[in-house]
Amino acid sequence: MQDSWADILVKSFREVASRLTVFAPRVLAVLTLVLAGWLVAAGARRLAIRILGAADIDGRCARWGITATLGRTGIRRPPSELVGQLVFWLILLVGMLMAIEALEVPAAVGLAPVIIRFLPNLLVAIFVMVIGWLLANFLAQALLIFIVNAQLTGGPALAGALRWLVILFAASVALTQLGIAREMILLVFGIVFGGTTLALALAFGFGGRHLARNALESWLQKREDREPDDMSHL
Amino acid sequence: MSDAAAVVDLFPDADLAGLAAAGPVDVVAGVHIVNQARRAADVLDTVASALEAYSGSRRTGVLVADAESQDGTAEAVRAWRDSGASGPPRGCLDLLAPKHRGRAILALLRAAQRLEAQAVLLIDGDLTGVRADRLQALLEPVLGGEAEYVSPAYTRTVSEGTLTTNLLAPLTRALYGARIQQVMGGCAALAGATIGSWLEPGIETGDWHPHGAELWLTTAALASGARLVEVQLDRKLVTPGGPQPDLATILVRTVGPLFALMERYQAVWPDRTGSAAVPRRGDPSPVQADARTPAIEPMVRAFDLGLKDLLPVWEQIMPESTLARLYPLALVDPDEFRLPPPLWARVVSDFAVAYHERRLPRDHLLRALTPLYLGRVAAFVVEARATPLARIPESFDKIDRAFEVEKEHLVARWR
Repeated sequence: MQDSWADILVKSFREVASRLTVFAPRVLAVLTLVLAGWLVAAGARRLAIRILGAADIDGRCARWGITATLGRTGIRRPPSELVGQLVFWLILLVGMLMAIEALEVPAAVGLAPVIIRFLPNLLVAIFVMVIGWLLANFLAQALLIFIVNAQLTGGPALAGALRWLVILFAASVALTQLGIAREMILLVFGIVFGGTTLALALAFGFGGRHLARNALESWLQKREDREPDDMSHL
Repeated sequence: MSDAAAVVDLFPDADLAGLAAAGPVDVVAGVHIVNQARRAADVLDTVASALEAYSGSRRTGVLVADAESQDGTAEAVRAWRDSGASGPPRGCLDLLAPKHRGRAILALLRAAQRLEAQAVLLIDGDLTGVRADRLQALLEPVLGGEAEYVSPAYTRTVSEGTLTTNLLAPLTRALYGARIQQVMGGCAALAGATIGSWLEPGIETGDWHPHGAELWLTTAALASGARLVEVQLDRKLVTPGGPQPDLATILVRTVGPLFALMERYQAVWPDRTGSAAVPRRGDPSPVQADARTPAIEPMVRAFDLGLKDLLPVWEQIMPESTLARLYPLALVDPDEFRLPPPLWARVVSDFAVAYHERRLPRDHLLRALTPLYLGRVAAFVVEARATPLARIPESFDKIDRAFEVEKEHLVARWR
């Protein structure tokens, strides 16, 4: 009884030890890869920030209004630091994927190459979304100011609709780039965009034609009333 | 950049050959003109006749720069130049692209510099009813060594030039410390010796709106500490050479350059305090009544609509402390509408700081000022209705003083 109990203990100890001797180098490799990835990522982040700083990206972004737009969404970091962070996390992600690969876990075999192949598309999709979002805000603001200065009502609603339309368009481009349900996205976008336009046209044509005529007449009348301008501003 | 290179950038060197051949020209009259084919000859004749008074004692010349007219003005100007009429020598500057009024003014100044002019008279071809004796009156202080820059002061009605009286002039006065009436008078005289110091290298590459060059000229004179004189003229009458832009675009083209000039001269204006009167030739004429009283209601409606719909944009420009003072104005009846000068000065100061800090695209920012400006004009007209004409200048002074008081706050926030 005592022998069998000791045998079991020794056997299980040996088994754990033998497994550890097989697994330990892998764990060591994982730790090394994660550490090396972190070091390289940190170095690349610093380098990227330095290069972008030399190119005065922060100043340029401030002049182009990008910093202010980011600030309005709660992002207070300078753009060079944001790009630096992106570089850092991308490299760290690659390092971690390599680490997972090194573990040779059956479920994760072949995962790294797939994700790495996917990365360029992901970067392009992120870029498209950022540009789309900036463009959406810019155009919506321009439209809002134009409508208010033309002394027309409904500016916020129209500006909001334009913003979401541009964001929707950017999102569909980004998803198409990622290859996610490409056909469905194109179809959905076509239906939503075309359907909305048709619905508005029909609603305006049938339901609101008198309203539209009154609105246009009132607008034209206002323009005529303003000519010649009562004021000489300069 | 050498002067010669700068001139070549603006117009072909050959354009000056005829005038420069006989040596320096003492008095140069430079006319910048756009789409005035029908009036061009009359305007230029008036300018030429103004210079004839000096033809016995000085060498004079008339230079014309057409800023890309579409109605045959350039041909009319060339016909006038080649007409062989007696009087001062005549020359045309064929501007190199991009052609616009700002570059036309700069080209005239560069040309006058090349001709070693002692005095330069700049005239906008849009001015109507300009008399030769008035142009001479502008030149006299410069030729007499009394001033380096002579600006016109016009007789005006109550609500004439509201952008000038409520924003451009008060802000300029507060910044640079001189109580000048016109920042864009349409004509001015300046000493030739000063041109070189005002024309900084590379200035031609600047983003010059149609009014930008005129504003820059006045500001450069004020910032440099040049001796200024104002000459009292009659009403400022203008025949625009084309369709007039909408109000928002006017703001972009005037307030934009004024704010941009604040950045250019930020080493100068923060240290200036108070303001001094500018010596004036001729008696200031009383403010005249408006021929037609401006309608207040549409302006108040525009302000209310701005307060309702444009708030998300204004929140990026003005702090809550300013907005809180604007909110109650939406509840006021149009005939009792008030947007007092101190609040208006604070609004403009907030916009200037936001422009400087690029909190949003500058075109958007300047256009977003439109409803507020209309609110201020409405308040000014309401106040003027209840004020005797003789006391209207006090209202102008009140606005000016409000901007001077506001300046301390502006300087504190300007980084």
